[in-house]
Amino acid sequence: MSEHRIELTVNGNRHIARVEARTSLGEFLRDTLGYTGTHLACEHGVCGACTVMVDGDAMRSCLTLAVQADGAAVTTVEGLAQADGTLHPVQQALRDNFGLQCGFCTPGVAITMAAVTRDNEGADSGAMEEGLTQAMSGHICRCTGYQGIRRAIRQLAGVSA
Amino acid sequence: MNVHMKSVGAARYVGERTPRKEYGRLLTGRGQFTDDVRVPGMLHVAFVRSAVARGRILGIDTAAARDMPGVQAVYTQADLAAVPVTFQTFFFTPAEAPVTLLADGRVACVGDPVAMVIAESRAQAEDAAALVEVAIEEETPVVTIADARTGPLVHPDRDDNIAAEMGDEDSREAVQPLLDGAAHVVTMRVRHQRIAQSPMETRACLASPEGENEMTVWLGCQSPHLAARYIAQVMGLPQEAIRVIAKDVGGGFGLKNIPWKEEMAVIAAAKLLRRPVKWIEDRFEALTASSHAREQDVTLTVGFDGDARLQAAWCDYACNNGAWPMGEDANVAVHMFMWPCYKMPAYGFVTRGWYTNTMGLGAYRGPWAMESLVRETLLDKAARRIGIDPVELRRRNLLYLTDQPHTSTLGVPVEDITPGECLEKLVANVDFAAFRREQAEARKAGRYLGIGVATYVEPTGAAGSMAPMTGETVHLRVEPTGKVVAMLSTHSQGHGTATTMAQVIAEQLGVAYEDVAVYEGDSAIGAFGPGAAGSRQGVIAGGATWRAAQLLSEKVKQVAAHLTNASVEAITIEGGIVHVAGAPEMSRSLREIAEIAYGEPGRLPEGAPTGLEAQYRYQPPPMTMTSAAHCCIVEVDAETGFVKILRWISAEDCGTVINPGVVEGQIAGGLAQAIGQVLLEDMPYDARGNPLAATFKDYLMPTISDVPDFEYLHASTPSQTIGGMRGVGEGGCIIGPPTLVNAIADALSPFGEIEELVLPLTPARILDVIEQRDVSGTRAPAAEAKSAAPIVEEAPLVEAAPVASSSIDGDWAMVLKTPMGPQEMVGHFDTVGATVSGYLEAPEGRQEFSGGTLAGSQLRFEMKVEKPMKITLKYDLLFEGDAVSGKCKMGMFGSAKVTGTRA
Amino acid sequence: MKPAPFDYVRPSSVAEACRILDEAGGGATVIAGGQTLMPLLNLRMSQPFILVDINGIAALKGVARVEGGIRVGPATRQADALRDETLARHLPAFTRALGHVGHHQTRNRGTIGGSIALGEPAAEMPATAVALGASIEIASVRGTRQVPADAFYVGPYMTVLEPDELVTGIVYPDWPQGHLVLFREVAQRPGDFALVGLVGALALEGGAISRAGIAWFGMGPTPVRARQAEAALLGAERARIDPHAIARAAVADTAPFDDHHASAEYRRTVGQRVFARALSETLDLRSAA
Repeated sequence: MSEHRIELTVNGNRHIARVEARTSLGEFLRDTLGYTGTHLACEHGVCGACTVMVDGDAMRSCLTLAVQADGAAVTTVEGLAQADGTLHPVQQALRDNFGLQCGFCTPGVAITMAAVTRDNEGADSGAMEEGLTQAMSGHICRCTGYQGIRRAIRQLAGVSA
Repeated sequence: MNVHMKSVGAARYVGERTPRKEYGRLLTGRGQFTDDVRVPGMLHVAFVRSAVARGRILGIDTAAARDMPGVQAVYTQADLAAVPVTFQTFFFTPAEAPVTLLADGRVACVGDPVAMVIAESRAQAEDAAALVEVAIEEETPVVTIADARTGPLVHPDRDDNIAAEMGDEDSREAVQPLLDGAAHVVTMRVRHQRIAQSPMETRACLASPEGENEMTVWLGCQSPHLAARYIAQVMGLPQEAIRVIAKDVGGGFGLKNIPWKEEMAVIAAAKLLRRPVKWIEDRFEALTASSHAREQDVTLTVGFDGDARLQAAWCDYACNNGAWPMGEDANVAVHMFMWPCYKMPAYGFVTRGWYTNTMGLGAYRGPWAMESLVRETLLDKAARRIGIDPVELRRRNLLYLTDQPHTSTLGVPVEDITPGECLEKLVANVDFAAFRREQAEARKAGRYLGIGVATYVEPTGAAGSMAPMTGETVHLRVEPTGKVVAMLSTHSQGHGTATTMAQVIAEQLGVAYEDVAVYEGDSAIGAFGPGAAGSRQGVIAGGATWRAAQLLSEKVKQVAAHLTNASVEAITIEGGIVHVAGAPEMSRSLREIAEIAYGEPGRLPEGAPTGLEAQYRYQPPPMTMTSAAHCCIVEVDAETGFVKILRWISAEDCGTVINPGVVEGQIAGGLAQAIGQVLLEDMPYDARGNPLAATFKDYLMPTISDVPDFEYLHASTPSQTIGGMRGVGEGGCIIGPPTLVNAIADALSPFGEIEELVLPLTPARILDVIEQRDVSGTRAPAAEAKSAAPIVEEAPLVEAAPVASSSIDGDWAMVLKTPMGPQEMVGHFDTVGATVSGYLEAPEGRQEFSGGTLAGSQLRFEMKVEKPMKITLKYDLLFEGDAVSGKCKMGMFGSAKVTGTRA
Repeated sequence: MKPAPFDYVRPSSVAEACRILDEAGGGATVIAGGQTLMPLLNLRMSQPFILVDINGIAALKGVARVEGGIRVGPATRQADALRDETLARHLPAFTRALGHVGHHQTRNRGTIGGSIALGEPAAEMPATAVALGASIEIASVRGTRQVPADAFYVGPYMTVLEPDELVTGIVYPDWPQGHLVLFREVAQRPGDFALVGLVGALALEGGAISRAGIAWFGMGPTPVRARQAEAALLGAERARIDPHAIARAAVADTAPFDDHHASAEYRRTVGQRVFARALSETLDLRSAA
């Protein structure tokens, strides 16, 4: 069982830590660094609750080892809003549209939406809506029936509901 | 009547899509779920679980595990027995199965917890758990309902595998002639699959002992109050010793009604070890070892007259209770709520729950939902058979407001339900004729569209008829700052109670929504209430806050009137400002009034209490009914059997809508679960008792692509509660399945009937209908199981050898198996000739009876009771030596078994 | 659901990786994207002593034109391959199938080689490699070898790869410009493994099929090459092709299984149907163009 020194940034904060090889990035973010906004809900890569951005790309933090994130820039849900508390547009869209109920899946949903809206910046409404909807098939929400999430997607894409 | 009409100009919050108060933390990753809580010195649990469905434990070797790094303790039931726990059901009645924290000599299902490892990290606990060796002598398991009827005993100390039983084969005699004489008789059999409730946050428990008995428990639950009371009660501790905190919970859906084996084992282990202990269920455990739901096999037969009017119905219901149900359940509610929204003259049923060697039965959103599924799918089948439009068939049989008050054949009173009105609203907003034209055109092109309709009523906001369903208390105050604080025993697992209650308070008190803070989620806050259970919080807590805010408003007005020498009637509160009619210069902020009320008691009216506080506990009517009619349109791909949902319209009547965003969210969430039940989700077991869907790769949860945009028509007939709300938490999950099945059946009608509904309707099962052959392989094993499983009928009440009538005199220790659990009582009988009088005595009190008749060894007597409802109990008992057995007919609750021995 | 303990190494060359795999004597497992391996580790269904992370080996990444084909490095991220214009232009069947692999979030980390080497019988990429006639480059301290994709798979999750071996490339042969793509996947939700799926390429010359490569996924213990259908198509004039007869021949090569999502009979029935439809649509599309 090897231990490794890693250095990474999370939401712009620099962290240096020692991690066991088997520790997932999600577990490391939560238990070692205290970014408990990232939720582990299936630990086999299906539900999407643990999704974080690694070097800008949305991915499962349960399917990445912490040691593999050495040198990476990680963004978690805690890093989406501005320092003054202004919500990220995806957070605002979820808020405006009842896009969450229990909120357990929401951190992953928000991260995917933030990554995909950025990737599709400047795309037309249809492409943006399509891209967000496709990416959202990688998330399971048990509460909302996805209605508010879909409305939030339309708001972000500038599509009238 | 508009119950929330307010004086002109006041800010309206009730009825508004107010953004939720909880969003601030949940959207930014700052919620507090149980796994987010850390306590110094906290240890972690991994359970060692049985890989065998049924067998005797020969030995458990924990030596290697104890030597592993980080391990602090390894417990088996022998260790935990030092902390006695007597499990109860949700209804606070004793669990009938011999439920223990960990396996006690035997295992009864795969996933049964056998040992627990407590270590410094979860990973270390799992490392050690893998080294615990459990030797089990494996026995043939009882897996299906059919197995349970004929197989060996799941619990060796029980007489049979019947976990619970209600209803009456005799009632068939009353119904059968009516069925025989009916113009049309239609039968529907539904085999409902097993569901894993699957809240996104799995079960979670952190127990932190703080003294001899004192303990704080962070728990994924649906009510901290209920959980605290349950924990204290089953451990025999004073309730004040246990504080349960659950600030944020990631969904419950019935699974988290009460803490069960694992959570209680964690609490017991923390007490034994005197260390904080945390267990976070992983998804593998959540799918295979959390309580499951549904798994029913139901047959309903209904007779109609020549005009398609309901004549009579008979239902045989069976439900797999698993090994350790969170309350043995024959689901009598299915039968109680089968017909209250229809004009049904005669109904009889027999209903049973069966023990098997599978994971135990737990609650799931609308646990009695089968009534709507089997009834509404049967009605559509009947409409096709009779050749009548399904909407028209419902119109002829539904209860409209003009038909009420009405009492259902099982005695459920209804006086303000609107299923007919909801259906009319739906029909007025959906062009059925246009759809039929489109459908006919599409069929010519080889496209199969279908439309499905369903109607129902749902009991919500139950209070006072059974433990633990109670009223709700709110503590409300204006702080010296002028801000308003409410302390409630509500609980949100996404329900948004902090939001809806704040809307009610803001409107009733005349303050800004932003100035109202709601505290909940902690058993130290508020008074007892069962939280989210049975679609009740909006109704009952809503009524409580409504009235409490009015009471507080009166106090503010009295103080203001005194300070301004005005009459109380002249005072209004609006936007946090207290106004005096005709004297705008006298307006003061609520803060100014509050500062005086707290800090300058001398300026208050003579004898008035200081501060600005109000408290109200609301006891609503025993039950409040919600009605709805839904419609959905699908397209079935005849090549692949895939179903695409094109439209879904809900016309529901949940009375006063506090927040349409919240109400629609509840409906939508339930409908998504309904879609999952009909098309995707399944937790099958193999013949050895292994659960086969152990990950989300195999247990198919609905995703965004499976759920259409829902459309809503709110009917909003105020109920008789304060505020006029009706419950809406479970409805979508109840009415959704039949609506979707009916649409699919309509689409498939050119090919044939779904003769027997086996869920989920996988693409293969849909091809069974399209191709009229067994593509899915469903029929072969089903037929086999059926033939291999003759129903074991209850032994008939044979006339035993006559005994001297005087021999029944005296006291008998008797048990009545009620739907809420067994009720122990003492029966005392005195005979004079063939006439018997006496009493039944239970801890709740003694009830006398007279005029009983004794014929041979058979005693019949009646007894009128007021609680939980006004019903007449009809006892029919047979005495044999020192034993008594028989049944008690309990009005709408059906019949319950009675057993006993001479005391 | 935490993995059993293991050591982690991140070699920077193929040689170093092969040396580690050799020294581990079967106790090492290669991780690239980890999107399938990590669940197996978390569930303790896989318990290696050493995890060999190949993400640091530059030679294993990227898409390149090579003599007679395109070589895809096994550590190439699925998302990168999906955006790759060379693949989209020359091997449209590859890009089409890849779009159905997993989800946005898993494609951002999952790799082509991971999907190929795992050998999930209902997955898209192994069948695509079989259909297109790819060969798998394999290295170990014992040397290198190339295995045709249809000889690479021997059973569910079983390949000819030895414990000390590493996939170092997947080489897809060139297909004629303008060849047609045959693709259909029947899955219950986006990102799910297929209940039944087929992928292939068809080249036409003078109105007749000059080359055909077709494989099923979800229709047997491995990806299944539709050999009889390929043979029947080869040389056939497009206008005279009976898609239903070809579909029957295609299904004849399969050995589908029952599971709780679908029966073997469903897979055969629907497989034949969607094959026939995909084939006629693909050929009609060509004639319409």
